[in-house]
Amino acid sequence: MNVLPNSDGAGLRAAARRGLRRGRDFVDETPPDALVTVTVAAVSLLAAFAGFLAVSSLTAVPFAVFLVATGYGWLRHQELTARVLTLTTTVSTILVLGLILVFIFAEAWPTVQYATVNVFGVPIPGLRLFIETRWSPVTPPIRYSLVPMIHGTVLVTIIATAVAAPLGVAAALFLSEIAPRTVREVVKPGVEILAGIPSIVYGFIGFTILSPWAADQFDIVGQGTYLFVGIVVGLMALPTVVSVAEDALNSVPESMKSGSLALGTTDWQTMTSITLPAAFSGVSAAVLLGVGRAIGETMAATVMLRGSPELTKPLYNVFYGNDTLTSLIAANYGDADGLQLSALFVAGVILFVTVLFLSIGSQYIEARMRRKLGGAD
Amino acid sequence: MAQDSKKLAGSVSRRQFLVASSAAGVAGLAGCSGQSSSETDAPATEEAETDAPETTTSTPEETSESSESSAPQMLTAEGSSTVYPIANKGSSYWNSNAPPSDGEYWGSNDESTVPGWDELGAPDMRLADYFASLYGFEPTETQANPAFATSIGLSHSGTGCKSVRDGLVDIGNSSGPITAELGISESEAEENYVDHVLGRDGQPVVVSKDVYDAGVTELTGEEVRQIYQDEITNWSEVGGHDQEIYVVGRAEGSGTDTSFRLNMLGSADASMEGVDTRKGQNQQVATVVQQNDGAIAYMALAFTGPEVQPIGIEFEGTLYAPDKSAEHTIFDSDYPLNRDLHQYTTVTEDTPSGTDMREAAFMNMFLTTFGQKLFVEDNNYIPLPDKDLQAEKDKLPSQA
Repeated sequence: MNVLPNSDGAGLRAAARRGLRRGRDFVDETPPDALVTVTVAAVSLLAAFAGFLAVSSLTAVPFAVFLVATGYGWLRHQELTARVLTLTTTVSTILVLGLILVFIFAEAWPTVQYATVNVFGVPIPGLRLFIETRWSPVTPPIRYSLVPMIHGTVLVTIIATAVAAPLGVAAALFLSEIAPRTVREVVKPGVEILAGIPSIVYGFIGFTILSPWAADQFDIVGQGTYLFVGIVVGLMALPTVVSVAEDALNSVPESMKSGSLALGTTDWQTMTSITLPAAFSGVSAAVLLGVGRAIGETMAATVMLRGSPELTKPLYNVFYGNDTLTSLIAANYGDADGLQLSALFVAGVILFVTVLFLSIGSQYIEARMRRKLGGAD
Repeated sequence: MAQDSKKLAGSVSRRQFLVASSAAGVAGLAGCSGQSSSETDAPATEEAETDAPETTTSTPEETSESSESSAPQMLTAEGSSTVYPIANKGSSYWNSNAPPSDGEYWGSNDESTVPGWDELGAPDMRLADYFASLYGFEPTETQANPAFATSIGLSHSGTGCKSVRDGLVDIGNSSGPITAELGISESEAEENYVDHVLGRDGQPVVVSKDVYDAGVTELTGEEVRQIYQDEITNWSEVGGHDQEIYVVGRAEGSGTDTSFRLNMLGSADASMEGVDTRKGQNQQVATVVQQNDGAIAYMALAFTGPEVQPIGIEFEGTLYAPDKSAEHTIFDSDYPLNRDLHQYTTVTEDTPSGTDMREAAFMNMFLTTFGQKLFVEDNNYIPLPDKDLQAEKDKLPSQA
């Protein structure tokens, strides 16, 4: 136990020494004029950022200095300035992301604090958001449980995946392995264009045609069902799934397929026992991306759902559709204030965390696939 | 030393600030006094100078008692944001003084006719010319140049009432009674102000067509409460067909939601267990009621129609009918979901009746079918029922 931190410390010290040496070399090699320009630019940009955070009216001054310094640097020391500028854009992207994160969490905090529950004398903030099912921002007792919305999001996502995954993978398999070249070259871009249809178009069709029809056919009281929202969202996610899965199937090396065929298997046998298993992780990533789209889908869900947050009875009843995390935010942000507004930010935090894990998961799978197939070469 | 000098710098800047601000204060005071003095006498002469060439013939002092200025001054109003859309739309129409051949804003042509045009007797005059002439103003017969201009400011009900009390504007717009806004007694209000009601803000209860056709054309307030609180869940319980009730509400925490809870369910935080769906906009509510059987909702009157039927509501033995000429209607001010939208004018020495000719000419415009439809109903407010229109007209001075 004692050895590890020591070795870590030694490693760190070595790394720091290396960094220091590299820094000293850089300073030695760069002309002082360029060094001054870059330093002025960096310091003035930092000052501008500080001014921005402090909502100072003088923010423009250091920013102007930054612009002048970079302009001068661009003319005199283009290479170094370009390096610094690209670094700046990267840093600012991460910074913006970080600021958004901090803001969402800070805005969500009052409701999390409001929903504190004592467990054996230990206060746990936010616990009541998840152990109760009552969403009631107006009528006392005032509660902001997100369980009904999480339940709605889960149901919609499951249905959407059930629609998008089999259809998407089958279509990708056809496009990649079976369809003639000309068909693929026409259909693939077509599918990708489909992904660009605005979600409100799907939502509008769902609201005016599908929902009333479903209410009639299934004898539901009023319109709005998770089933049809799930189907519509699944159709919306379909192009993403097809496109990414097709790429994955395509990236299976031809040598693997040829080898299989040379052993006397049919095309179908090659597909099911060689191509699909080899591309399995890529196909899963495609489905995960589709799921991510389904979770984050807002417009279609908001116009089609009922907007009255409660659990359906029984829990697996998909014929009544109340609210998802996204539709809750979209339907209420205009009228909410105080704790209710903060509760909407909590919904945002939950969405953020979920989508974060999904995208990390799909990236991990993709990286694994590349390792596996790369090793086969 | 460093600290000392910093402190010194601080005090210097503070002193500078004090000097600067006091200078600004003096300037502000000067501006104020300048303004107030100009209010008392300057504008009359100014306007007389500028307007004289155009309106020498129009001398309203012959007809109206207010006779200090030689030309009519601009009519000013300000106040409540709820009354603002009505008053401001009326003012915009007034100021443009559209010709009767316009068709869209005033009068009639081959393509369109404004509502209530025939009722006005299809006058061959421009919009503001016509309404102003009813109170003795000469027509100008020019576009965008009415006998007197109107201007509507936007603030709050309380501000509007204070402004009219202090004589800063001619008309104070308010969505609450002036007694509450200024904290004065009924008798004091009656003595000093005239209350003109232009329209009402409210939410009729509507049902879908199948429910209406099955015979549910009225409910009691208690039944509506029970429906919204999940105590009644089937239309057969209130005399309709066997159909579960699809209860539509509005976004939680919105003004519409709060006022419905307060006026229909008893308190601003009353429970609404029975609500099946909540929608944010009138259009969405109307579509949902149209598309679904057994629906009940509350929404702005402008979105009702044959598929979305407003129903009568009975409160404490009085039936408020969805019919403008009935004795008690859902357009009345004592219908619990409604509130009056007021324009207050002041009683002064010049105008003992409380309403001078300019105010009367302008406000009379809103009391016609034309004004009620275009300015009140099209802004999603509730037009006045016939008997109230008559009562409001009676408050204005007699027409020339």
